Amino acid sequence: MKVLSLIPVIAIGFLLIWAAQDFPEWGDVNSPASKAAVSNHFIGNTGVDTEVPNMVTAVLADYRGFDTMFETVVVFIAGMAVLAILKGSVKGNAKRKDHEVDNEPDLIVTNTVRLIIPVIQIFAFYVLAHGHVSPGGGFQGGVLMGASFILIALSWDLEKALSRFPVEKCMLVAALGILLYAGIGLLSMFLGGEFLDYAELEKVLPVSREMARYHAMLGVEIGVGFTVTAIMFVLYANLASEGRLKEGL
Amino acid sequence: MMGDAIAWIFIFPLLGSVLAALSGFVNRKLAYPISVISMVGAFGAGVETLLQAINSSTHEVSYILGGWTLDLFPRGVGIEFRVDILAGLISIIVLGVGLIVTIYSKLAVEDETPNKESIYYSLMLLQITGLAGICMTGDAFNLYVLIEVAALTGYGLIAIGSNRAAAATFNYLILGTIGASLYLLGVGYLYIKTGTLNMIGIREVIEANGLADSATMQVAFVLVGVGILIKMAFFPFHVWLPNAYCNAPTTTSCLLAPLVTKVMIYVMIRMLLSVFGVEFSFESTIWVNWMPWLVVVAIICAAFMALAQREIKRMLAYLIVAEVGYMVGGIWIYNYYGMIGSIFHIISDACMTLCLFLGTGIILRACKTTHFDGLRGLFSKMPLTMIGFFIGGFSIIGLPPTCGFFSKWYLITGGMVSERWEYMVVLMFSTMVMVVLFFRLIERIHLAVSESGENLGKGHGDLGLSKEQTRFNEAPLVMLIPLLVSASCVILIGIYNQEVVNQIEIFLQDYDLPTGVDH
Repeated sequence: MKVLSLIPVIAIGFLLIWAAQDFPEWGDVNSPASKAAVSNHFIGNTGVDTEVPNMVTAVLADYRGFDTMFETVVVFIAGMAVLAILKGSVKGNAKRKDHEVDNEPDLIVTNTVRLIIPVIQIFAFYVLAHGHVSPGGGFQGGVLMGASFILIALSWDLEKALSRFPVEKCMLVAALGILLYAGIGLLSMFLGGEFLDYAELEKVLPVSREMARYHAMLGVEIGVGFTVTAIMFVLYANLASEGRLKEGL
Repeated sequence: MMGDAIAWIFIFPLLGSVLAALSGFVNRKLAYPISVISMVGAFGAGVETLLQAINSSTHEVSYILGGWTLDLFPRGVGIEFRVDILAGLISIIVLGVGLIVTIYSKLAVEDETPNKESIYYSLMLLQITGLAGICMTGDAFNLYVLIEVAALTGYGLIAIGSNRAAAATFNYLILGTIGASLYLLGVGYLYIKTGTLNMIGIREVIEANGLADSATMQVAFVLVGVGILIKMAFFPFHVWLPNAYCNAPTTTSCLLAPLVTKVMIYVMIRMLLSVFGVEFSFESTIWVNWMPWLVVVAIICAAFMALAQREIKRMLAYLIVAEVGYMVGGIWIYNYYGMIGSIFHIISDACMTLCLFLGTGIILRACKTTHFDGLRGLFSKMPLTMIGFFIGGFSIIGLPPTCGFFSKWYLITGGMVSERWEYMVVLMFSTMVMVVLFFRLIERIHLAVSESGENLGKGHGDLGLSKEQTRFNEAPLVMLIPLLVSASCVILIGIYNQEVVNQIEIFLQDYDLPTGVDH
């Protein structure tokens, strides 16, 4: 079976390499892709359209903001699906696993973590808010934030982390993140534009059309950050404890 | 606000799903009414959008998310939603099936997934959002994102049932991910060569630069095509489908079976006609010579496997695989009538599969089994359900005046006109198999014959059952009415087939498909 499955792998690998012979030359200005107006528009007009220095953020959150909204929904779905499968799948108090131990939380570990967590969380906010000018944004900031809760669960235990961020609250925060993203889109629609046409928000914000796009992008990044933070932790809490939400690793 | 109808198609179920998820904190019973209301809203918006597309002079509605420009060449700065008549028809089917299944789901969800109603409805609405979005989007990468939305919710909806379902889902997950990855790789290659992701934009660049002979484009075509074939469960990539649909909760199989494979066939038509273009797809590649033969193998194998089943759900799952073969064949015989047949068959197959799965759900609830042996005397017990179920079955066989007859008629005409005799013969053969399948089922339900063929009753309508077992005990109205509505859709679409075909012909005006022999 293992040998058989090599055949499609080799076939597809061959196809992919064969296709590469026809790629445009590196930096070829005459290739159709370089002549196409799309990437040229992104490079030339991002600053004019949105005042965002980081082109990647502008493409992600504004030009292709609709994709990003559904990527956020995909993250939300992942959390829901894990809840759907694991919730109540283990009946009662199942047998304890070998790796589960009763030790008290380690003094050195917990005290170090006490020091690190505020730094991680502030850095998460920085990454989120600074996405407009440097690498970063909602997904990255959200992952950092979620990691800080996972760190609590790892160094104390799952109950301690869940007492700070219960699963119900996680789902609430995740749903709020999507509502925030879709809400900004919907608001720009009610103000007379298309869905997610942030420029229309100038009618409610005291700024120019370009700056309205700039600020709305921050808004949707915060929405993404909410959802990613919460779902990161939900995934960890459920997978680590097989859905029992007790003890964990 | 009417101009935004197209946006409301996804806004309604998206907000509905978030509200349904949140309703878990207040009262789980709220999830059902929230879902029904948002589906009614989405269906209304879908009808409005289709009417706009039919009435506009260009026969399409375009909506640019984010309000970006389309004036550049090639277009593709923002993400565009384009609803032409094909997209409108298929999205109406998606939303209509979604609405019917949502209404039907009340009792089944309460019984099969207790305490998880809010999660279930949230996933279900997102599934419909994803599928409707796939139909409407005009952007090749956005299509991938929406395929992921539909696939991930599908995994959740199937695995929520039982442990067996979770195991089946794992297979589905692996194969589905391979399919989606291949599609994504193909789109990546398209982007390298053309510099845009907009579907119309890609075709404009291919035509303007004569990219049809490029090796990269040929490979992109194969990757996208194989990715879609895996997703639509085309034989031999069908292995995920039967187990996943059989072990899933009732409502899930009712929602996924009519829609997922059919929507992927829509994606294949969209890719061949709108993205790569007729000339590239059918004339500069060799696939047009081979695909009809693969279809022949697929239909024969699927028909035999369906014949071997002793359980309704599993039999229907293999029927879906055979039907996928019909539609892929209709596309690849490269003929005007074949294409009409394929598009019409997407619509009619969605309706009749819905009908059969809704009926199966009721049978499962009443008999606790869907094995052939447990069905005796069911007609006297629940005649209306059985009539609805049989109408779906007759449509699969292709008896007039059900819609299955007319779509199969166009498919066979296509095979005949393009002189693809192998395809025509295999369609006839598979029709015979369907006749055997359904009349065997009807016999089991009406007559007192055991599995080994011995007579269990005493003749004269005696089924060998007690009065208690055959007493009139019809399904609850919330399940029965959706079934009867879908059964009447099967007949109404059959009677008004000319209206549907007229619209499909308007859509196909823009594409230069041969009406005679061409290969």
